[in-house]
Amino acid sequence: MTAQKRHSRERILIVDDSEMNRSILADMLADEFDVTEAVDGEEALEILAKEKDAFSLVLLDIVMPRKDGFDVLAEMNRTNLIEDLPVVMVSAETASAQIERAYELGATDFIMRPFDAFIVHRRVLNTIFLYVKQRKLLGIIEAQIAEKEQNSALMVDILSHIVEFRNGESGPHIRNVRIITDILLRKLLRKTDRYALTERDVSAIIMASALHDIGKIGIDDKILNKPGRLTKEEFAAMQKHTLIGANMLEGLSSHSGDLLVRRAYEICRWHHERWDGGGYPDGLKGDDIPVSAQIVALADVYDALTSERVYKSAVPPEEAKEMILAGKCGAFNPLLAECLVEEFDQIRGALAKDGAQMESHREVRNYADAAIYPKGTGVSERTLKLLDYERMKYNFYAELTEEIQFEYLIEEKILKLSPSGAKRLGVEQELADPARDLRLQTQLGIGWYERLMEHVRATSPALPEFRHECQLRIGGELRWYNIIVRTFWTDGDVPVIESVIGKAVDIHDTHVAMTELKEKSIRDPLTGLLNREGVSEQLPQKLAAFPERKFALAVFDIDFFKKVNDVYGHLFGDKVLCEVAERLVHSTRVHDLCARIGGDEFLIVFDYEGDIRSIIARVFKSLCGKVEDFDVTVSMGVVEMTDETQDYEDLFRKADIALYASKQGGRANYHFYDDSMGDGVPHREG
Amino acid sequence: MTIEECYKMLGGDYADAIGRLRSERLVCKFVLKFPSDGSYDLLLRSLSEQNSEEAFRAAHTIKGMCQNLAFTALANSSSVMTELLRKGDLKGAEQYLSVVSADYERTVRAIEGFGRSTAGA
Repeated sequence: MTAQKRHSRERILIVDDSEMNRSILADMLADEFDVTEAVDGEEALEILAKEKDAFSLVLLDIVMPRKDGFDVLAEMNRTNLIEDLPVVMVSAETASAQIERAYELGATDFIMRPFDAFIVHRRVLNTIFLYVKQRKLLGIIEAQIAEKEQNSALMVDILSHIVEFRNGESGPHIRNVRIITDILLRKLLRKTDRYALTERDVSAIIMASALHDIGKIGIDDKILNKPGRLTKEEFAAMQKHTLIGANMLEGLSSHSGDLLVRRAYEICRWHHERWDGGGYPDGLKGDDIPVSAQIVALADVYDALTSERVYKSAVPPEEAKEMILAGKCGAFNPLLAECLVEEFDQIRGALAKDGAQMESHREVRNYADAAIYPKGTGVSERTLKLLDYERMKYNFYAELTEEIQFEYLIEEKILKLSPSGAKRLGVEQELADPARDLRLQTQLGIGWYERLMEHVRATSPALPEFRHECQLRIGGELRWYNIIVRTFWTDGDVPVIESVIGKAVDIHDTHVAMTELKEKSIRDPLTGLLNREGVSEQLPQKLAAFPERKFALAVFDIDFFKKVNDVYGHLFGDKVLCEVAERLVHSTRVHDLCARIGGDEFLIVFDYEGDIRSIIARVFKSLCGKVEDFDVTVSMGVVEMTDETQDYEDLFRKADIALYASKQGGRANYHFYDDSMGDGVPHREG
Repeated sequence: MTIEECYKMLGGDYADAIGRLRSERLVCKFVLKFPSDGSYDLLLRSLSEQNSEEAFRAAHTIKGMCQNLAFTALANSSSVMTELLRKGDLKGAEQYLSVVSADYERTVRAIEGFGRSTAGA
């Protein structure tokens, strides 16, 4: 059903002279596609000419009256329509020569008659998918390149216009040189493979052509704008603009590796060299002159000739071409001269119209084509391979883990899940509007989407990640998961979250183990009371939980415990400790802190109202009493907490002083700390 | 007459047709449509006018339709006819026409019989 919904707007053109054949195909596809029929090649071409963007696919018979399938393919090649519109041949032709010819003419697929309805249907769908994907890819690449190059292009434009303005050149000289460079360079690359240039090089050269005269910034105004002929000295100074420009670029040391800068350097320095070696500044000859500079030199001369200047009128294009070919305006690479002749009409046309936009689109298209259909060993091929490899790697790992990996497109409201993740959640790999999905609500709990989005919205472009541990009832079992998420933001002044990726990792077992371990680490194994670490960890929480209450801390130890061990043995000693711990737990409340902080040393922290003395008296009393034949008594010291004595160590020390006082007083009693006790307590025993 | 019987009578392979077209409704629909297709008449006319190109296209169309509908007998004979005409062998084609015509008439008779029984049902 979703498939039908998604493709309801795709249109297919069926071209077959047999009404019955058309009708069979139409019947197979009419459920999911809009179908238009053409009775022969001629009608098909008429329909395509009128509505070339309307169709997603053409099903094309070969043998037809008027124009056959090959004629249609040939015409689609001529208009380049074949690049954007997939054609699937449907024919009873079995001769391999015919099939080969169809493929050579750009057919995407070939379905032999008699055909299987399922296969026709599947191939049509696959082909359309493929093209939709390709178009998407193209769009992504276009957007990325446009964005990246926009900045450079803007800077280059500003810079070159400054130069233009200062040179007093009227008219769009920079733009024209750029257009001519573009056309000549591409023509040259089609003509010969002598120059190994990638699409990135081409793009950089075309952009850099605008910078060919930046060195004129460093030429004296008086020479630059002198109306009459230059003297020999003035001319020599003028020639320096090539080296000045090159030096300027060389000075950009932090960008010296940049392709654009390198190309601009070549062009600036050598665009006044001559093929015969008679140019300046270095007198390079032939292909020692970088091809970028060769082309810009020709473009520069042609545009200078055909443009009007204060000191001269414009030469007609035809005449300018002849002058260049006759070697009256310099000496050029013969191959380039050929390019000029062959592309002459195109250059004139391009210069005449204001085609800045078209030009940039074509550039992008070339770039994108090079990326999608890599030729040779360009960077793009490698990149695509790497991308492919990464994707394979990712899929491999995704399948190995128990993680639920996901991607969520905010605006489209589409949730994509890893195959194993989808399986665990019992849903499809791709879900629209997951917030309303009842199955997800059952698995993840009501309000899961809102909770997730709350975390998502708390991220920022600078801090796009978050981790969150929570319990989820996936598959009916409540377990702990670690949710790790990264958000992706749009660029621009007000970034917006575009998508979210992340995974839910089942950490239940480690979480439970950690909790247990932690619990163990703060407990005394013999009595189950807290230990010293447990107190120092839980005390601050306890104080914070009851900020208005009064608190007291008491420490006590068992009188003559050392003797117990000596006389009755350690087993009995342990029994006494456990019994005292039990009495302690019984005489205090659940939320009081009870701890065994040393051999026979215990500690209590509790909050209270009213008279602390009666509370301590009660606790003290309940701790004392016989364990078998041994009469247990304790010595205790108590300190009341005030706002000034929040420090645990300090409290402990004061309680200890009070305890010492109790021992001094003959044991089996308790004392409250007061400042008169001072802190002159000798070291505690044990 | 059932559609299977019709196929048996015209020398076709019903199992193949239903296997590819996936629906009895579709098979019946196109089978019943077959006699009204003009390609056979075009083949006869073009042959009498010695127009081998037009005749080739007509034979080719018949072949394609028959292959799709799994009318095996007529698909085979029209296929031979197509190859003769592709070479421009008008004489050979005229001689072979009787084979194609016999298959064609058998096919149409079977379909008409089937058509009557579906109309009656």
